[in-house]
Amino acid sequence: MVDRVERLTNLLALLLETTRPLSLIQIVGELPGQYPETEQARRASFERDKAALREIGVPIETEIVGGGPYAGQTVYHIDRRAYELADLELAPDEMRALQIAVAAVRTGSGAGQEAIWKLGGALGDERLAVSAVMPDRPELPVIRNAVSTRSTIEFSYRGATRRLDPWGLLLRGGFWYVIGHDHGRDEQRTFRVDRFDSTPEGIVVGEPGAYERPPSFDPRSAFPSDPKEIGHDAFEGIDALVHVDRLRAAAVERELGAGRVVRRDDDGIVVSVPASNLPALRSWVLGLLEHAVVLEPAAVRDDLMGWLSAVASSDEGAT
Amino acid sequence: MSGPRNAEDRLRRLLVMLPWLMEVGEVPLADVARRYDLTEAQVQTDLELVAMCGLPPFVDEMVDVFVDEGMVYVGVPRLFTRPLRLTAPEGFTLLAAGRAAMELPGADPAGPLGRGLDKLAAALGERGLEEGADDTAGVVIDLARPAMTDELAEAATVGRELSISYYTPARDEFTDRVVVPRHVFVESGNWYVLADDGRSGERRTFRIDRVESARPTGGVVGVDDPVVVPDRFFVDAEVPRAVLRLAPAARWVVEQYPVDEVAELSDGWIEVRLPVSSERWLAKLLIRLGPDVVVVDPAARRVAADLARRVLARYSDT
Repeated sequence: MVDRVERLTNLLALLLETTRPLSLIQIVGELPGQYPETEQARRASFERDKAALREIGVPIETEIVGGGPYAGQTVYHIDRRAYELADLELAPDEMRALQIAVAAVRTGSGAGQEAIWKLGGALGDERLAVSAVMPDRPELPVIRNAVSTRSTIEFSYRGATRRLDPWGLLLRGGFWYVIGHDHGRDEQRTFRVDRFDSTPEGIVVGEPGAYERPPSFDPRSAFPSDPKEIGHDAFEGIDALVHVDRLRAAAVERELGAGRVVRRDDDGIVVSVPASNLPALRSWVLGLLEHAVVLEPAAVRDDLMGWLSAVASSDEGAT
Repeated sequence: MSGPRNAEDRLRRLLVMLPWLMEVGEVPLADVARRYDLTEAQVQTDLELVAMCGLPPFVDEMVDVFVDEGMVYVGVPRLFTRPLRLTAPEGFTLLAAGRAAMELPGADPAGPLGRGLDKLAAALGERGLEEGADDTAGVVIDLARPAMTDELAEAATVGRELSISYYTPARDEFTDRVVVPRHVFVESGNWYVLADDGRSGERRTFRIDRVESARPTGGVVGVDDPVVVPDRFFVDAEVPRAVLRLAPAARWVVEQYPVDEVAELSDGWIEVRLPVSSERWLAKLLIRLGPDVVVVDPAARRVAADLARRVLARYSDT
């Protein structure tokens, strides 16, 4: 038996070169001595080879013969135009820029390097002053294709089936999100891609051109960068005033922008922050510990004091 | 260097190697090995194998390649002159990496990266977009960075020495340090600078949003060997651990911080074991979690309660 790489290469060459689709019997005839003798073992080996070629991205097309003595048989071939990478006509500086981008953005998969190799480049010893770690999710290529073809997707998310017109993908804060129109809720929704229950194969992609994306849609603004602004309760639209002491004032001002500073005094600054999402506000203020105090509204201030009192008394009875 | 050696990976590598070899015609074996992350022996084995491939009646004539005295020679190309198209994950990763690189300090949207990405996006078929729509809207990378980032990145490119004021939450204090930035990187939404720290004499990682100020000392140390960037969040095995029981609402802790172990309890609660960089850090976490956490260790509970009382005291005098 020949080396499997040799057999795969020959099979690939045969299906690329053939002028008409070939049946398994014809393929075995063209590659003498390379497939097992018995029909069952031969079929199993061929299926394994076909899967291996598809796995590395070879578009093997199958047809069922319609008439004649071979009616009903499956025949195989590869369309060379679908197989070959189109020439992107990248200028040398553009190729180099893509190489640097792939070297600088680490994803944990080899897909970027593989792509650079296919484009005729290679990753060298680029000296990089800056880099990024980009989480890699197997669902992303599927969702991206659905976004670009405007296809509705169906997936399982936290135990429920969702139908979504995906408008765009956003990477923010180390997580990938897909934003779009949720059919079940009939409104715009955001989903974290790593929380999909569905495997990439389990995401059902519908017909292309199924919806229109709102012309002004921008994932960046559709999804507030500040979790404190994702409103859902009684403090919708209301801002809280928070005093931040001198030690943390400069950092908070940098984080929120000078526009949020309501006044300054010798002890620090007072900033105005959205209170619409109370848990987010609470978490942010408490993260500053004794350097921040909520001044108003009274309801938010009381909430923080009640929360702190509960923690303060939590060691009672502890030894 | 070592290459994966199953049949699929060997063929995959051959199919990118052959078109390039046909372009260059003649190249040292060592260069091929380095370029494709294989050993010379692996390259030689696979090239000699593919040279034997062929279909009747042209057996042995499909790929004209041979290796001699450490050189690879390729003759008249017949097959595999073009690389295989990009797979969906390859196309996505290349595009997303390019767009992420555009968000890094120093990127020029009108420069070669932007032009290369436009060609790539066109080749990958950015269909379904309205006439004149911004074709980047489908995949957006937001790596918003703290104000000080660009200055630190610029210092890293030339090896400029900076005097910085750095906030350490564990001790709740600022320290002044003289550092030489070596590398700036972003991970999970946080920006870090890897720098030679004059204070400890070591290469340390600092969070950029905690750099309060930075000014050049006038010294330029220059750049040294390629920088090794920490692969994952840096966790010291020596750091003490805490065991926490978390309510469903507190599951974000697992995503935000490195944890050693997670065990499912009933009602959606989980028990986690995680490294504790400082008592104050743990106490702060417990205060933020409030009723959503049960702490197994009474000492940790006491520290959190003490700190909560201190914060509460600020409310009585403000």
